Amino acid sequence: MAYFKDEQEVYQFIGKLFEDLAVDPELGPKTQAANTIVQYQYSNPDSVITVKMMPGDPQVDCGPTDMEPEVTMTMDADTAHKFWLGKVNATVALARGQMKSKGPVAKILKLLPITKMIFPRYKKMLEDAGRQDLLEAA
Amino acid sequence: MSEGNGDLGGLAAELEAAKPMEGFKDFTQFTAPTRVISGRDLLGSAGFEFTKEGATRAFLVTDQTVRGTGLVDTVSQGLEDGGVEVAGVYDDVPQDSDTRAVEAAATAAKEAGADALMAVGGGSVMDTTKAAAIIFTHGGAAREWEGYYLLPRANEGMGKPEPLVPVACVPTTAGTGSETSWVVVIKDREAQLKFQIADFPLFPRLGILDPASTATLPPQVAAGTGMDALTHAIEGYISGEWTPHTDAYSLEAIRMVRDNLRRAVLTPEDEDARGNMLIAADLAIVPVNCGAGGIAHSMSHPCGARYGTPHGLTNSINLPVVIEFNARHPGVARRLRDVAVLLGVEPQGGSDGDCARAVADWCRALSGDLGLPQRLGEIGVEKEGIPLLADDAMGDGATLVNPVDPTPEDFIGLYEQVI
Repeated sequence: MAYFKDEQEVYQFIGKLFEDLAVDPELGPKTQAANTIVQYQYSNPDSVITVKMMPGDPQVDCGPTDMEPEVTMTMDADTAHKFWLGKVNATVALARGQMKSKGPVAKILKLLPITKMIFPRYKKMLEDAGRQDLLEAA
Repeated sequence: MSEGNGDLGGLAAELEAAKPMEGFKDFTQFTAPTRVISGRDLLGSAGFEFTKEGATRAFLVTDQTVRGTGLVDTVSQGLEDGGVEVAGVYDDVPQDSDTRAVEAAATAAKEAGADALMAVGGGSVMDTTKAAAIIFTHGGAAREWEGYYLLPRANEGMGKPEPLVPVACVPTTAGTGSETSWVVVIKDREAQLKFQIADFPLFPRLGILDPASTATLPPQVAAGTGMDALTHAIEGYISGEWTPHTDAYSLEAIRMVRDNLRRAVLTPEDEDARGNMLIAADLAIVPVNCGAGGIAHSMSHPCGARYGTPHGLTNSINLPVVIEFNARHPGVARRLRDVAVLLGVEPQGGSDGDCARAVADWCRALSGDLGLPQRLGEIGVEKEGIPLLADDAMGDGATLVNPVDPTPEDFIGLYEQVI
């Protein structure tokens, strides 16, 4: 059974994580240095988050968007959830095709070193929301 | 750099824990589906062999330099002798394979009514041919296929990939290993970048390794491409993505380079050495296919994209400092002792760190003996460009699989060492 019951839950947690990052004084500028637009296409449940990572001009759209993504990352929503908890080896996920990338993926690969700083924030968000079930399911 | 197995405190222990260099891994993947034949006088039986892969009307892809050697005529005759018609020849592949060449080759092959593609050339020619096979089979433009695992497949993209038109490769350099790889690197000149397409159908069906194919290779190209093979092998052995499969291929490739590269370059009439270097390059690409690489490549790719430096030669310059950088990981230093033993340079009573330095020095000595430049500045890279190169290197896929996670500052320091 999928961890998230519907797309709204995906947006409530993973979408909110991206929204918080966009305005974070420490991590926001670092992610915006990527200078690209990334679209995360999730399945189970089907959901789409589009993130504009451009200096001084961040934007996060959950669901339909007018933004034209340069990079597309496709994966199961469960994989995304486990990734943000620090429980997915990105190298292995890419090698197995659990994560698929389209476009100049180098632009976001250079952000991987800072993802380690994001994992605790996602965990805290789930804890604050009382979603022990999501923490334990992964 | 680690000074021995006892030095496991602090950073060293952290590195050991982050990317263990021994034990049983949670996941590995090995695949080598290309049929490879090697030996003498094989070009004359190109048709006999390619017909086994379904070819009846092959379209050849090459460059003007290779065509000028007469090799394409030899291969064409070999195809026809084996009952495979030659549908046509595209001979305008540039030094760095680009989107224009890929799309032009695919269009020409289609118009010629071909049912198979054959590359006769080095890495750029082979990558052009493999990428052209995608467009020939599925249509579209080259850049539309950029990415990993994106070729059409069953089960809504999660099942078996659809096959491409059969591709065979006759490599004319011994280094890139593209004849048995599932990746292509193509330049988009307008966007001034190189991009990758990677998926299992890109493994060619057939590789033909015949030393006659490298008989006219200029010594500096033979040396640079040979050092590329060595870089694949050593980086594969000390990569964070090492596996027992990649270890086997890496070590044998290192041994074959040790025994054959000098001979192949300095005495090019040595057919055995040239033939063995073709095989060494073929073995050395297997770790790369399994994801085992390192940051010598991360550093070289941006140099190629921004300054047009030859890939193998650039790797040759970057490899020694990367070996020394990665040897701060105790598990890497232990593995470099294996390499030092294999190369016969293990210092008596020396630590693992001493072995790592000895391996790096051996690589420097080899490239020096082969007459290759030792600094990036000698091949056109500018010191002012280092910050941009370091930024590009951070985003390179090979950075992800390096045994030590580098920072942008680490890359700047490494480039400064070799500029």
